[in-house]
Amino acid sequence: MKSISLYKDNGTWLCRVHPFTKLMYIAAVILIPLFLHTLWAYAVAIALDVAILISGKSLKRARALIIFSFTIIATIFLIKGLFDGDNITPLFSLGSIVFYKEGLLKALRTGCVIINMLLSFSILVLTTKPEDIADEMERHGFSPRLSYVISSVFSIIPQMMGTMDTITDAQRSRGMETEGKLSVRMKAFIPLITPVVTSSLINTRERAIALEVRGFGAKGKRSYLRTWKKHKGDKAITILLIIATFLAFIWKIITWLI
Amino acid sequence: MAYIEIDNLKYRYPKTKKLALDGISIQIEKGSFLGVIGRNGAGKSTLSSAIIGLVPQFYKGAYGGSVIVDGLDASRTPVSELSRKVGLVFQNPFNQLSGAKDTVYDEVCFGMQNFGIPSDEMRRRADAMLEKLGIAQFRDRNPFDLSGGQMQRVAIASILVLQPDVLILDEPTSQLDPAGSEEVFKVVEQLTNDGITVIMIEQKIDKIAKYSDKILLLDDGKMVTYGTPSEVFAESEAHGVIPPAPLRLSRALNIADENNSYPATEEAAVRIMNGKVSFKDVREKERTTSSEEVFRIENLSFHYTEGINVLHSVSLSFDKRPTAIIGQNGAGKTTLAKLMKGLLKPSEGSIFFKGEDTKAKTAAALSSSIGYVFQNPDDQIFKPRVLDEVMFGPVNIGMSKEDAERKAIEALGLVHLENAKNRNPYDLDLHERKMVALASVIAMDTDAIILDEPTIAQDDSGKNLIARIIGELAEKGKLVVSILHDMDLVATAFTRVIAMANGSVIDDGKPEDVFRDESTLMKAGLELPHVASLGRKLGSESVLLTDKDFLESAFIRE
Repeated sequence: MKSISLYKDNGTWLCRVHPFTKLMYIAAVILIPLFLHTLWAYAVAIALDVAILISGKSLKRARALIIFSFTIIATIFLIKGLFDGDNITPLFSLGSIVFYKEGLLKALRTGCVIINMLLSFSILVLTTKPEDIADEMERHGFSPRLSYVISSVFSIIPQMMGTMDTITDAQRSRGMETEGKLSVRMKAFIPLITPVVTSSLINTRERAIALEVRGFGAKGKRSYLRTWKKHKGDKAITILLIIATFLAFIWKIITWLI
Repeated sequence: MAYIEIDNLKYRYPKTKKLALDGISIQIEKGSFLGVIGRNGAGKSTLSSAIIGLVPQFYKGAYGGSVIVDGLDASRTPVSELSRKVGLVFQNPFNQLSGAKDTVYDEVCFGMQNFGIPSDEMRRRADAMLEKLGIAQFRDRNPFDLSGGQMQRVAIASILVLQPDVLILDEPTSQLDPAGSEEVFKVVEQLTNDGITVIMIEQKIDKIAKYSDKILLLDDGKMVTYGTPSEVFAESEAHGVIPPAPLRLSRALNIADENNSYPATEEAAVRIMNGKVSFKDVREKERTTSSEEVFRIENLSFHYTEGINVLHSVSLSFDKRPTAIIGQNGAGKTTLAKLMKGLLKPSEGSIFFKGEDTKAKTAAALSSSIGYVFQNPDDQIFKPRVLDEVMFGPVNIGMSKEDAERKAIEALGLVHLENAKNRNPYDLDLHERKMVALASVIAMDTDAIILDEPTIAQDDSGKNLIARIIGELAEKGKLVVSILHDMDLVATAFTRVIAMANGSVIDDGKPEDVFRDESTLMKAGLELPHVASLGRKLGSESVLLTDKDFLESAFIRE
């Protein structure tokens, strides 16, 4: 089955790190540069992201995400570099087009924020099973319903995409063109989307029954097939990350007061 | 006190006027096997929902009388609690997967986690159950990647690990091919020896006859009979359930057992009839022939993934005889049908429709000459009114509104839904929605119609209606090609059968010839039609396809 989960168990240490540690890392690595508000903090964060991904043998798979974001970042550079309101100091020019220092610096900062976010999230997404995140959340007191939603989305969406193909075939069989001009596609929208919605409603209803008869709504304590043994490192790293974030926050307050 | 006591149960779904269950009173003993039969809409599934408390807790509606399961009131005990005692497996294997687990093993453990069963015990039960149901080799596979039969066994395992006292199976095989159904029935057969109470709803009447200690016959929400198979089948026909072939034929020949009742299973029939019946040679059946070529398929190969052919160099010619394509899931039947319809394009080879190569045409462009009815009607229905839904195809292929309406009403008449033309298709039952989908293609008045599994969800009268429709379409000079798993319908409604296995055609001919060849049946994973099977066991040389064939050939020995 096509899965939309990007997780792959490549056997490295990174896959064995607890999901919560990774979540804490994301929070820290996004918040700290934000508090410190300097470009070198972003540089350190991004370098750290890349180092972790290399050590977890996942940088290659993260590349696709980064390349995708480059088009957005390039656009930001163009717009800010050319048209930002604070632009005063010309930096360089291409023919008659002049790029300004202030705008480019702002764009650099935004670009760093985006890349840092993408890289840190990809550490989580590429090396953690969605089901594990959901299970751990449930074990730590989140609602089982929430954890069900998180883990089921990853298998239900590919199924819905499969249904969409069948529906397209069924309507084409009845003489409806689905390809070609925009007007043809617009006309095809209702006959394609209505069965998707209704059949997923029917499926959802049946699935709700199937879950109920397997005790999903049962009161009482649940048990778990696997228990995730937290590594000593998980705790140590989490504490370090919390302290670092806290210190950065204090720094932010101090610089703000002075 | 019996394990399940149902007393004067009455129930009406919300926003309906008719009682879905009307005064049902039965007692079900622990460890017994109860079959529930009846036509579509008789109340079978509603009754099973009432035993596990889904009626009225999930469906709401008006409820009267009582259902007591092991001392618990099913209308008030939460379903998730009652499911510790009662397990439910239903038709669609796909919708029974939780969707939250990505291996078979985790899926099977899902329910046990909800009930807080310790992980050691969970593993012990799951290991034993996977082994028992023959799915241990799939434990690390994604359950969505399995075939229907395998998925349904995962669903049954997921329920059985909860160790319920009662297992309700609501048409567990209706969406499976013969081999997949057989896998499920083998599991059911094991259960009968385990002392678990089984309540099975099935249209496959021969299976019900084989396993049931007692059968409950429902009609129109009311209980008609509750008794042994022979007792129930003696009067089931008047209530829309045709008795199994052994009982029909032994009754017609008036060969009864020592208790003066007619045998309901093949095994019993052979025991009683053996030595008493002989068969004379039947003359070759006269069949309509046709020489006009509709489709010509030359060296057709197809692959979804480069290097893995689903069809291997198939060459076939279709004339106007109604043709059934049979074979196991994965044999390439649906792929072949989709290629004929132009929904897929050949990887190699060509398909000619009335002499014209279809390669360059889109499925939509071919739709005025080739119709295709999909398995699941919910994949196409989108209009809020039946008549509009049926007119959608005709209008698309350029018919005027008046013509389209005329054709649509004609087609609705053919599927016996003329009175439903102003209703919302989603207010109809699944078997009726299937008929709407069928009508919506018939109304397009194409020269060829391809049907993919038209009998799923149909009861006996629905199947008979489909057989009649196929006959009428053939009379009008249309080619009907149907993918089918119901061998009894193949035997009665088709004059040509194509058997497929592993992407190739392994046999092609008249039904009696294809069914005569045991190696074909074996390779294609198929069963003989029930009448033919009994005939063969009793020593008939000819392949007897229908009751009429059987009774013309059989005579009582003096």
